[in-house]
Amino acid sequence: MLQRNPVTATLAALALVVSASSAVAAESLNFVSWGGTTQDAQKQAWADPFTEASGIRVVQDGPTDYGKLKAMVESGNVQWDVVDVEADFALRAASEGLLEPLDFGVIQRDQIDPRFVSDHGVGSFYFSFVLGYNQGKVGGNAPQDWSALFDTATYPGKRALYKWASPGVLELALLADGVAADQLYPLDLERAFKKLDTIKKDIIWWGGGAQSQQMLASGEVSLGQFWNGRVYALQQDGAPVGVSWKQNLVMADFLVIPKGAKNKEAAMKFLANASSAKGQATFANLTAYAPVNVNSVEQLNADLAPNLPTAHVKDQVNLDYAYWAKHGEAISAQWNEWLVK
Amino acid sequence: MTTAQSNQSSQVAGAALRAAGTANGSMSQRWRGFSNLLPALLFLGLFFLAPLIGLLLRGVLEPSPGLGNYEQLFANSAYTRVLLNTFSVAGLVTVISLLLGFPLAWAITLVPRGWGRWLLNIVLLSMWTSLLARTYSWLVLLQASGVINKTLMALGIIDQPLEMVHNLTGVVIGMSYIMIPFIVLPLQATMQAIDPMVLQAGSICGASPWSNFFRVFLPLCRPGLFSGGLMVFVMSLGYYVTPALLGGAQNMMLPEFIIQQVQSFLNWGIASAAAALLIAITLLLFYVYLKLQPESPVGTSNAR
Repeated sequence: MLQRNPVTATLAALALVVSASSAVAAESLNFVSWGGTTQDAQKQAWADPFTEASGIRVVQDGPTDYGKLKAMVESGNVQWDVVDVEADFALRAASEGLLEPLDFGVIQRDQIDPRFVSDHGVGSFYFSFVLGYNQGKVGGNAPQDWSALFDTATYPGKRALYKWASPGVLELALLADGVAADQLYPLDLERAFKKLDTIKKDIIWWGGGAQSQQMLASGEVSLGQFWNGRVYALQQDGAPVGVSWKQNLVMADFLVIPKGAKNKEAAMKFLANASSAKGQATFANLTAYAPVNVNSVEQLNADLAPNLPTAHVKDQVNLDYAYWAKHGEAISAQWNEWLVK
Repeated sequence: MTTAQSNQSSQVAGAALRAAGTANGSMSQRWRGFSNLLPALLFLGLFFLAPLIGLLLRGVLEPSPGLGNYEQLFANSAYTRVLLNTFSVAGLVTVISLLLGFPLAWAITLVPRGWGRWLLNIVLLSMWTSLLARTYSWLVLLQASGVINKTLMALGIIDQPLEMVHNLTGVVIGMSYIMIPFIVLPLQATMQAIDPMVLQAGSICGASPWSNFFRVFLPLCRPGLFSGGLMVFVMSLGYYVTPALLGGAQNMMLPEFIIQQVQSFLNWGIASAAAALLIAITLLLFYVYLKLQPESPVGTSNAR
């Protein structure tokens, strides 16, 4: 009797679906990150418990694209609520007015390592550029610090360096050239490029994590600059690679909220949850990236903890994101000029 | 059988040419089908031309109105170098894929019909495989610890691995491989349409095999060579994935530069200036191509 008219029935069902989905849409937010295992871990450590506790659905999206973020903010149609970005971009985007200021009534700023929080972004995780080497290639003589990269007599073979004009390569060249860690900034570009010139033909540039792992594990490169989590993953797989934490260069990802995000309130709550001691510890245990919350350290797995940057604090050299946010573009112009020379 | 078939097809082609010739004569007839084009034009205008114009405007409006971005592009030697890189790689890739594609297309035309279809399918198959997978396979083959170097070293031919990747060699090998199908397909179609009787007539009239090839066969292949070569050159200009994976940073090409500016530095002004440059060059090449192609509407002579 009720189903006498199939068209009406279908319409009624549709209406139900539409109203149901709009009810859900009112309580959801879009989370954007880099994909792969990192985003899987972010979902598991942050999004799933958050949805369970608050009822706010978290839609996973990605990968992060700075150009897209800018286009959304400019057009006023912002689809993304929380975005995982690199630290220097977080600061630059804030100065260009692309980000919402954070509400530190909701997010507990005092629990977060001051290196990894700003008015417009809170640390997502932090990591280090470390000196990784292939044990088969370097023999028994394990390299100690960045100067090993420039010692082609002791360590023959190719060197892997991070391709983009971003914090890391110039700093390690200066450190290897004898600049003290607290004297790095402002960067002496000329000196850095001159140092890099000495190994330019031996450099193989990597643009992504998987590519860097492939180079190191296969012995395509003898040693190089790597993300600590990637070297750890190789070691877990039994690859013959070693790591030196001396002068490890600290870099971070930040979570930010684009200006005009549609679910700002929910996004703030999400950031509070993600940067909490528990959220940060769970994520670190899943990924081997380090927590930005100072209270997370005691919750780390005992066997993982020695492989995180948090266990090598006294060897750390901090990369200055604020400096890069300001001068990154000018540096990149010179960087490109040097590269193609 | 095949001779009869191709005879027939060349007659059909001739008829079509004649028909096109008469249609060229009167303007009203020439524009008769125009209304059928409207939906496609509307679509392209709305979703392609309008955004494109928006993009090009950024090049002269951001960060401040004027030609500052273009000035910057030409003033910095790095950008000139990148532009030069782009053209030399595209040129090299075009030449190599022509040299490799020509004999392949010829072989496909000459072998018995069933075999030819198989060969053509193999060429097509490579196009359907993921670009990323194919590029990574080259990496596995070419790298210092790769299959080729290991084999050569085991055979004692070399004692140091050859550097075939993360440099210009890697880019050219990887891209030529990807581009060969785009040469083979148009070229094979052209060769298939050539009447074998013409070549026979050439040799009957006393042409040596060499002059028969260079003065009869090659000129007849010209349309295929031109369209394949142009397509490959233009595609190579805009290629991103393969150079990024197989090339070294020294061989940066324009597309990678544009992506870097768009995504990392949000410097959309200079990125669109670079994009505009790429478009302008491509259009220019296309115009030259149309001029050189006798069959094209803007060609200098319509008669052969």
